[in-house]
Amino acid sequence: MSFRVFMPTSEEELQRLLSERSCILAGGTDLLVKMRLKRVHPDRVISLRHLEGFDTIEDLGDSLRVGCKVTMSELLNSDAIIKHSKILEMALREIGSPQIRNRATLVGNVVNASPAGDSIVPMLLSNASLSIGSAAGERVERIDDFIKGPGLTSLANGEFVKSITFEKTGDFFPQFHKVGQRNAMAIAVASVGSLISESEIRMAFGSVAPVVVVPVEACKYYSRSGESFDEDRFVELAMKSVTPIDDVRASSWYRTTVIKNLILRTLKVWRKRGYDAD
Amino acid sequence: MRIAFTVNGRLHGLEIEPGEYLLEVLRRIGYKSVRRSCGSASCGTCTVLLNGKPILSCSTFAASVDGQNIETVEGMADGDKLHPIQEAILEEGAAQCGYCIPAVVMTGEALLRENPDPTDEDIRLALNGNLCRCTGYEAQNRAIKKAAGVMRGETDE
Repeated sequence: MSFRVFMPTSEEELQRLLSERSCILAGGTDLLVKMRLKRVHPDRVISLRHLEGFDTIEDLGDSLRVGCKVTMSELLNSDAIIKHSKILEMALREIGSPQIRNRATLVGNVVNASPAGDSIVPMLLSNASLSIGSAAGERVERIDDFIKGPGLTSLANGEFVKSITFEKTGDFFPQFHKVGQRNAMAIAVASVGSLISESEIRMAFGSVAPVVVVPVEACKYYSRSGESFDEDRFVELAMKSVTPIDDVRASSWYRTTVIKNLILRTLKVWRKRGYDAD
Repeated sequence: MRIAFTVNGRLHGLEIEPGEYLLEVLRRIGYKSVRRSCGSASCGTCTVLLNGKPILSCSTFAASVDGQNIETVEGMADGDKLHPIQEAILEEGAAQCGYCIPAVVMTGEALLRENPDPTDEDIRLALNGNLCRCTGYEAQNRAIKKAAGVMRGETDE
């Protein structure tokens, strides 16, 4: 065995163990697969298993805070999430399988910073920020600053994510559309999440750029245009943030086509809300 | 390192490497119903129950189940009498090659403990992570539904 496993019980102990070649293990549904496939080679694996705390979902009034040990299943069983963050619930239901969701954590999915990270979409839509701990203390960073590229974050050596805090979004109409190669256990080929009200639209795309992206110009256009809103113009602006690649799951052409259709579907469902959309 | 955990109610104390996966440890101590196939958290054949919830043993460190309860299909039958889910799988022809079946039984069992009267949709969602390349899932869904009825005390007819 070329690596060592640690199971700290306190934050101080965890901080002492963090090093350049250490990996933090939360649910393990990503890290342990990569280690099995020999894609990552940490010297130290630091399990959060026995770490005290970090396992609660807190209602902070206008926002919710989720500790780094909270699993996706726990979130799906939380009344606070179902009531105040329907968009997170929708995205989590599309992730993996019951087996995966019983182990995988929300914070783990965000820290992985995958361009296809399904839970990153609702976190961007809910203006999430991360609380990052280190021996030097704590800093808070917005999720769009935190994620730097595919698999890259601003986490420095010696830092770890303690929790994620995000807005309650119960006043918006939420939608999450994902296309994969099959329904379950599939990494997205393209996904669109949105929160819509009469005056505001928030939208984010998964799997069509190096990171999960927000079509900022299109969202601004929605608020600005009011009565003169033109769907084609919105799609045109939104597509500026889409730079898909060819990979094992789909071609760039296919992703472009799918994302355009998902944007149109999102607008259609919003228009016909309360009626049958399809 | 030394760990102790229960499998189907029986306590096992054993020496493991800290980086060993639960799948390999369970197979090593004789629970061969726990199957290895994809090894990448994709197929579900290594599913066991951890404290009553289905998880994938191929992507779980054995060290992390120290002090916990594991259940596998070896613990399901009562002597010669099969568990209702196993019985229903036989009756409905829901197993062909059989490779995925132990995991399907355990995932079904976890579902029925939480939801004794599941709809077809509930069953499909619960079995999302258990791939079966033989049956097309219809017979497995029927089997779980049938077992649910038996376990609720309703008769077959």
